[in-house]
Amino acid sequence: MATQQLIKSVPSIPHTPKELERQPLVLNGRGIGWLSDHIAGVAEGRTPKWWWTAFVPSFLIMLVCFSMVLYLMSTGVGVWGLMIPVAWAWDITNFVFWIGIGHAGTLISAILFLLRQRWRTSINRAAEAMTIFAVICAMVFPLIHIGRIWLGWWLLPLPNANSIWPQFRSPLLWDVFAVSTYFTVSLLFWYMGLIPDLAVMRDRAKSKIRQMLYGLGALGWTGSNRHWSNYEKAYLLLAGLSTPLVLSVHSIVSFDFAVSQVPGWHTTIFPPYFVAGAIFSGFGMVLTLMIPLRSICHLEEVITTRHVELMCKVILATGSMVGYAYGMEFFIAWYGGNPYELYAFKNRAFGPYWWAYWTMVTCNVVSPQLFWFKWCRTKMWFVFVVSIFVNIGMWFERFVIIATSLHRDYMPSNWAYFQPTWVDIWQFVGTFGLFMTLFLLFIRFLPVIAISEVKGVTPQADPHHPLGGAKTGGHH
Amino acid sequence: MKTIPPPCPEPVSGIKYWRSLDDLAQAPEFRQWVEKEFPQGVGEDGDAVSRRHFMKIMSASFLLAGFGLSGCRRPVEKILPFSKMPEGYVHGVAQYYATAMPTRGTAIPLVVKSHEGRPTKIEGNPEHPDSNGGTDTFAQASILGLYDPDRAQRFAKDGNNVTREAALDFLTATAQRFAGNGGAGLAFLLERSSSPSRVRLQAELARKFPSARWHVHEPVDFDVHQAAASALAGVAAEPYYKLDQAKVILSLDCDFIGAEQDRCRFIRDFARGRRVNKPGDAMNRLYAVEGLMTLTGINADHRLRVPTSQVLAVAAAVAAQIAPDNAAVTALAGRFPLPAGVKPEWIAECAKDLLSQKGASVVLAGYRQPAAVHVLANVLNAALQNVGKTVSYHAPASAVASALPLVELARSLNAGQVDTLVVLGGNPVLNAPADLDWATTQRKAKTVVRLGYYEDETFAASNWHLPAAHYLESWGDARTSDGTLVPVQPLIEPLFGGLTELEVLARLGGLPANRSHDIARETFRGAVGADNFEDKWKKFLHDGYLAGSAAKPLTLAAFTPDRAGAAFTAAAPLPAPGKDNLEVVFHRDYKMDDGRWTNNGWLQELPDPITKIVWDGVVLVSRKTAEELGLRSAQQTEREHGVVDVVEIELNGRKIKGPAWIQPGLADYTVGLSLGYGRKRDVKGGTGRVGHGAGMYNAYALRTSGAEHIAAGAKVRKTGESVTVASTQEHGSMEGRPIIREANAEQFKAHPKFAKNMDLESHTEHLIMDPKTGMPKMIYEHPYEGYDKRKGQSGKDLSQQVFKSDTHQWGMSIDLNGCVGCSACVVACQSENNIPIVGKDQVSRNREMHWLRIDRYYSGAREKHHNEHVDDPQTVVMPMTCQHCENAPCESVCPVNATVHDEEGLNVMAYNRCVGTRYCSNNCPYKVRRFNFFDFTKRPLGELYKSPVTSFNEGEWEVLRWWKDPEKSSRPEDEWELLKLARNPDVSVRMRGVMEKCTFCVQRIETAKISQKVKAGASGDVRVPEGTFKTACQQACPAEAIVFGNLLDPDSRVSQLKKQERDYSVLGFLDTRPRLTYLARVRNPNPKMPDFREVPLNIKEYWDQQLGEPYAEHAAHSHDAPAHGEKKGAH
Repeated sequence: MATQQLIKSVPSIPHTPKELERQPLVLNGRGIGWLSDHIAGVAEGRTPKWWWTAFVPSFLIMLVCFSMVLYLMSTGVGVWGLMIPVAWAWDITNFVFWIGIGHAGTLISAILFLLRQRWRTSINRAAEAMTIFAVICAMVFPLIHIGRIWLGWWLLPLPNANSIWPQFRSPLLWDVFAVSTYFTVSLLFWYMGLIPDLAVMRDRAKSKIRQMLYGLGALGWTGSNRHWSNYEKAYLLLAGLSTPLVLSVHSIVSFDFAVSQVPGWHTTIFPPYFVAGAIFSGFGMVLTLMIPLRSICHLEEVITTRHVELMCKVILATGSMVGYAYGMEFFIAWYGGNPYELYAFKNRAFGPYWWAYWTMVTCNVVSPQLFWFKWCRTKMWFVFVVSIFVNIGMWFERFVIIATSLHRDYMPSNWAYFQPTWVDIWQFVGTFGLFMTLFLLFIRFLPVIAISEVKGVTPQADPHHPLGGAKTGGHH
Repeated sequence: MKTIPPPCPEPVSGIKYWRSLDDLAQAPEFRQWVEKEFPQGVGEDGDAVSRRHFMKIMSASFLLAGFGLSGCRRPVEKILPFSKMPEGYVHGVAQYYATAMPTRGTAIPLVVKSHEGRPTKIEGNPEHPDSNGGTDTFAQASILGLYDPDRAQRFAKDGNNVTREAALDFLTATAQRFAGNGGAGLAFLLERSSSPSRVRLQAELARKFPSARWHVHEPVDFDVHQAAASALAGVAAEPYYKLDQAKVILSLDCDFIGAEQDRCRFIRDFARGRRVNKPGDAMNRLYAVEGLMTLTGINADHRLRVPTSQVLAVAAAVAAQIAPDNAAVTALAGRFPLPAGVKPEWIAECAKDLLSQKGASVVLAGYRQPAAVHVLANVLNAALQNVGKTVSYHAPASAVASALPLVELARSLNAGQVDTLVVLGGNPVLNAPADLDWATTQRKAKTVVRLGYYEDETFAASNWHLPAAHYLESWGDARTSDGTLVPVQPLIEPLFGGLTELEVLARLGGLPANRSHDIARETFRGAVGADNFEDKWKKFLHDGYLAGSAAKPLTLAAFTPDRAGAAFTAAAPLPAPGKDNLEVVFHRDYKMDDGRWTNNGWLQELPDPITKIVWDGVVLVSRKTAEELGLRSAQQTEREHGVVDVVEIELNGRKIKGPAWIQPGLADYTVGLSLGYGRKRDVKGGTGRVGHGAGMYNAYALRTSGAEHIAAGAKVRKTGESVTVASTQEHGSMEGRPIIREANAEQFKAHPKFAKNMDLESHTEHLIMDPKTGMPKMIYEHPYEGYDKRKGQSGKDLSQQVFKSDTHQWGMSIDLNGCVGCSACVVACQSENNIPIVGKDQVSRNREMHWLRIDRYYSGAREKHHNEHVDDPQTVVMPMTCQHCENAPCESVCPVNATVHDEEGLNVMAYNRCVGTRYCSNNCPYKVRRFNFFDFTKRPLGELYKSPVTSFNEGEWEVLRWWKDPEKSSRPEDEWELLKLARNPDVSVRMRGVMEKCTFCVQRIETAKISQKVKAGASGDVRVPEGTFKTACQQACPAEAIVFGNLLDPDSRVSQLKKQERDYSVLGFLDTRPRLTYLARVRNPNPKMPDFREVPLNIKEYWDQQLGEPYAEHAAHSHDAPAHGEKKGAH
C-alpha cells in the first residue's frame, strides 16, 4: 500500500499513452522459457503428419528437377525451347527469379539489423534459410543452361598452362563472383546466428546422436559473456559485410542485361530497379512461407500480425518503386529518341507478349497497392494471396525483360516467338521441389526462429522490466 | 607462334646421295625390284595417268573402309604410303580439277576441289569464256548427292541383287538380240543433254537399230525456247541472250534469275548491267510480267501482276505497240484483250521505253509460257533490232533430233509395241503427267531397263536397275549455253560402281569402246582432229573447256509473219481465273527443281528465296484469294509459328491437299504449286531418308499432259486441318528500319549521300572524334592496343607501335544492287564450312545453322495498314552474315574469351573454348550467330530429343558406345562414313553446345597466307595479292555482289567499293564498325509508268520512324521531309 502511494506521489513520469504504445513483438507476454520450448519444439518430438504430407511431394518434385537436369545434360540444351534470337529464356528468368527471392533474407538479417529494426528477429532465421535455398535453386540454372555443362568451371579464374583467363569484361563472370560471394557470406551469416540456438538444441536433445550433431554445430557454445561478446561483434561485422552484398548481387545480375546493347536491356535504371524488385519478391516469398508456417507451427505469438503488416509495408514500398521503374522505362524510351528502344517497349506492352507484360503489371504494381489499407495488411489469407501474386509477378517481370526484349530486337528478319517446352516447365517446377525439400528439412531439424534473438527483444530480457531479469521465469 | 610453311618443292641441286649403287645406276633390274616390292599400282611412276591411278587407290581404300562391303561393320583402313609422290601432290593440300555439271540442255563449268582423292567443294570455272566462276544452288549442292547414302548402290533385277557382270552381260545380250531386227520393239527414254558424245552414240545406235524409238521427257522442259525460235526461223536455232548489253529488259513470266536454264549466266549479266559506281551511272531497267512471285519479279523495277495464263495477252498488247504494222501480231492482240485491271498506260510506257532503246533492249519469255509467247518475244526482239546485239541465235547444243515426247511412248506402250524400254535417268513414274498413269504404263514393256541414281518410284516399275554414276564419277562432255565444249571429268572412281549413260548406250549398241573415258576421248578426237591429240586433250581437261568452240551465231532470214502467225493461231486462250475457276501454276521449285534434289539435305534446308520456307512445298495463294477462302492471315501465321491452314485443291477430278501460304505479290485466283515434294513416303523405293516425308502434296498428281505448267478450272477448299510450315524468316516487314537502304536512280543522283544519311549514325556527331582516325574516340582501351603494347614492352620501339597487323586487314563489301537473292552463296557456305542440317522441326524452332542467310523484306506489305500496296509489295533481299565488327558486342560479353578479335580484323570463334552461354548471340545486333542446340552432326535428325542415357544403338547402350569410341556417331554407319567424306578437312566440325558463325572463310585466308609466305621466302613480301583467293560465298556469287579483300591495299576492289557513296554499315549507330559493309540499292523505275513511285516504299516506311533524313540537303520534293529536317536538329 505504502509503496503504491509512494509511486503515486512521485511527480509523474510521463507514460507512453496507451494508443501510442508499440505493440509487443511477442504477444501475451510470453517469457523466455516458453519461447525456448515452443520454438525448439517444432524441431523436436515425433515428425508431424503435415510435414510428411509436404515433404514427400516436394521430394518427388525435386527428383523431377534432377531428372530434367540429367536429360538436358545428356541430350543438349535444345530440349528447352530456347532458340536464336531468344537464346536465354526460362533458364535465366528462373535464375534471376530465385536470386531475387534470395534477397529478403540477407536484407532482413543485415540491413534491418544495422537499422535496429527489432521486429526482424522473429523472421530472420527462416528468411535467411530461404535465401540460401533460393540461391541454391538459382545457381542450378546458370550452371545447366550452358551448352557444355562439363566445362562450366572454365568460368573460374583458375591458373592454367595456357594462361587463358576468363574474360573480366563479361557480366557473366561478374555474376559468378557476385553470386558465389553472396552465397558464401549468407551461409556464414546464417550459421553464425544459428550457433547459440544450436547450443539450445544440443542442451535440450534427448538422444545421443542429436546431442552430438547439434553439439558439433554449436561449436562448444556455453553462453558465457565472452562468447556473447565475441558473437555480437562477429555478427555485427558480418551484417556490415552482407549489407553491400544485398545491393551488389542484384545490381550485378542486372548488368547481364544493362551492359548488353539489346533494346529493352540496355538501360541504366536496371541496378536500383532490380534491387528493389528483388527485395519486393523476397518479401513476397517470405510471406508466402511464413503465413502457413506460423499457423501450422502455432507461432502466431512470435510471428505476429504486426510482423506481417510491416512486411506488407516493405512490399508496398518496393512494389511502388518497381512500378515507378516500369513507368520510367517507358518515359526514357520515348524521351531518349532511340526508335529501336521505343519499339522494344511498345512491343512489350502491345506486342505478342502483351499478356505477360500485363500479368506482370497487375501483379507487381496493382496488387501491392492494396496494402495501403490496413484491412488488407492484417487479413492473413489476403496477404497470402497477394504474396503469391507478387511471386508470380516477379517471375513474369524477368520473363518480360528477357524474352520480350530478345524476341524482337534490331533485325526484323530474326523476330520469333518463344515457347517453352515441357522440359522448361518441369525444370522450373522441379526447383520448387528442391527449394521446398530443403526448407522442410530446415523446419524439421533447426529452430525456425532465432530463439536467442527473440528472447532479446522480449520485455523480460530487460533487467529493469517488471518481468525482466532473472527475477521471474517464464510462465507456461 | 611461327607458322611452319608447308614443304615447298625446290629444284634438286647440290650433291645427290644414293641408297646403293643400283640406285645410282637406275638399273632396270633395280627399277623392277622397286616396283615389285610395293603393292601394285603404287610405284607406277612415269605413267601418263598416274593421277587416275592414285584416285583409284584412294577410292579403293574408301570402299574397303566399310560402305562398299555390306556386313562388314568395322571399317578396315589401309594406309598405303607413296613410294613416290604423284607430281605436285602434297598431303593435306587440296587439288583442283576442271569439270562440268551437265544440266538439262547445257552445263555449268566447274573447278572441283579434292582432298586426298575425295571431292569436297564445287566452284565455278572462272577461266571458262562464258563464266565468271559463279555457280547456282544446284551445282553447289550436287556434291552432297555424291555422298548420298541412299543413292542406288547395286545392280538389281526385279528388286534382287545381281552382279555387275550379270547386268553388263544382259546389256550385251540385249544388243545382240536387237541387232537382228534393227531395233524393232526397242524404245529409249532419255533426259535432255548437251553431250556431244551422247549425240554421237545415239547416231551410231540409230544406225544399228533404225527401228528403235527415241523419247525425251523432262517435267520441266526448257526446250520451248529452242522450239519457238526454230519454228520461227525455219532452221534449228536457239536464242542466246546477252543481258549485260541490254538497257531495258522485259520479262514475260521469264524467271531468268531463278528458274530458267543457265541462271548463273543470266544473273551475272543482269547484275553487270545494274552496276553503278557513282551517281548517274547508267543501269538497266527490268519490267516483269508474271503471276507468281519470282526472283525475277522481286528484282524488277516495274512488276505487273497478272495471272500466268494472261501473260500472253499482255505480251500481245506490248507487241502491238512495238510492231503495229505486223498483221499477225495485231491480230493476236485483237484476239487477246488486255486482262482486267491492267492499265493500258503500263503497256504503252513499257513499249515506249523498249522502243527508245532499240538494239539495247531484250524481251524474254519464260518456259511456262506457251509457244506463242516465245514466238512473240522473238518477233519483238527482231522488231527492236536486238538480234545480233542483245540476242543471238545459234545451233542448239542439245539435240535429240528425232526425239518424241513421252505421250508417244505411252501410246506405243499401250499398243504393246515396246519390247524393251531403256530408261536412262529421270524418274518418269514420279513426274510423268498424271493422266498417263506411268507406273502401270511402263510395266507394259516386256523388259524395262533403267539407269537411275536412286532406287526411287521408277525403280519399283523396272526390271533391271543399273546404278548411275554421279557426274563427279563420270567421264563425259557437255556444251555450255554458248556452245563451248566442256569436259566432264571424274574426281573419284564410282563409289558404288555406277555406270554412266554413255556406257549403257555403248553397251546397248554393242560398240567396242564402252568405257566412258574412251567414248569422251573419241568424241573429242572427232572435234579437234588427231593431230597433237594428247596435248589438246590434256589442255582440254586442264582448262575445263575447249577454247574457240563456242557456237557461231546463225544469220537467220527475217522472221516471216506467216510462221509467227501459225504459232499465234494455235494459241488457245485460257479463261481469266476467278473465284470458282482458279488457275494452278506448277513451278520448278527453287530447291527441289522437278524433284531430283529431294534427298539433298542442303537444298531441303535452303530457305526458298521468296517464301523462306524449308523442307516443304506450299500452296501459294494471294491475300485476296486467302480471304475469300477464309484462311488464316499471314500475321496470324507468324504469331502461331508458321501454323497454316490445309487446303484441298481439286483439278479435273484429281485432288491433293497442301498447306496454304499467303504470298504477297501473287496474282489473285492463282494457286502456285511446287514440283518435287510429297513423294512416296517409303525410304526405299521412294525418296531416301533425307527427303522422306518432306512436303505434304505431290503436285504431279494434278499435272496432266497438255496442262503441264498452267491449268485452269481448279477449286480450292479449306479442309479445317492445320499444319506447321517451317520458315527461317517469320517477319517480312523491315518496320521502317533502315537495314536495307535504297533510292531511285534519280534520287541517288541528287543525294549521293542518302545511304549515309539514314539511321541514327547521322545524329552521332556529338561523339568525341579522334582526329587521327576520324572515328569516335573509344572510352575503353581497344583490345588490339593492349595486345600490342605488350609487344612493345617486350623490347620493340614504342614509337613504332603497330596496333594491328599492317599487312592484312580483311573486309567485305556486298552490293545490294547486285544481289538478286539466288542463294548460291548460302549453299556454298554450307558446303565449305561443314554446316550441318537440322531438319524441319528444328528450323521451325528457329535453330537453323546457316552462317549466311538471305533476309527478304516486303515493303508496303504491312498487314497493319492493309493499304493499296499490300498486294504489290516491293521486295528486297540482303545477305546477312557475321559483320566482323571491330567493336564486336559479342566479344566483350563472352565470359571465357571464346570469341575474340585477331590482328587482321576478324572476329574469330575458338570452338574449343566455347562453353555455350549464348550471351554473344543475345548481344549480337545482327543475330548471325548459330548455336548447336544438339549434336546435329552426329545424331540422326529424327532422334535429336532422344537422350543417350535411355537409348540403345545396335544393341548397345548409347552412353557406353559413346564412351568406348567418342568418334562414333549415332547415325547409321553407312550414312556416317559417307558424310565424313563430304566434309572439308580444313574446317573443324562443331559439337553440341558450341556457338558458331561466319569466319570469313578463315581457312582460305590462312591457306593463301601460307602459300604467299612460302612464295615470299626471304623477300618478306607476305601480303597476299588481290584476287589470290575468294571466300566461298564470293566464289559462288554469280552476280559478283560479294567482294572480299584486304582493306590495307588501297587498290583492292573491296577498298575501292568501300569508298563509294553508297557504302553503309547496317546499324552503324551502334558503333560496332562492321568490316562487312553494304552498298545501298538503287532502283531504276521509269517516271512515266503508272506504278512509278517517287521513293522506294522502304523509304516511305522509314520516314514514319523519323530516323534522320536521307535527302537532307535537298528535301523540297518529298511531302514531309522538312519536318524531318527540323527533327534532326533536335537530336
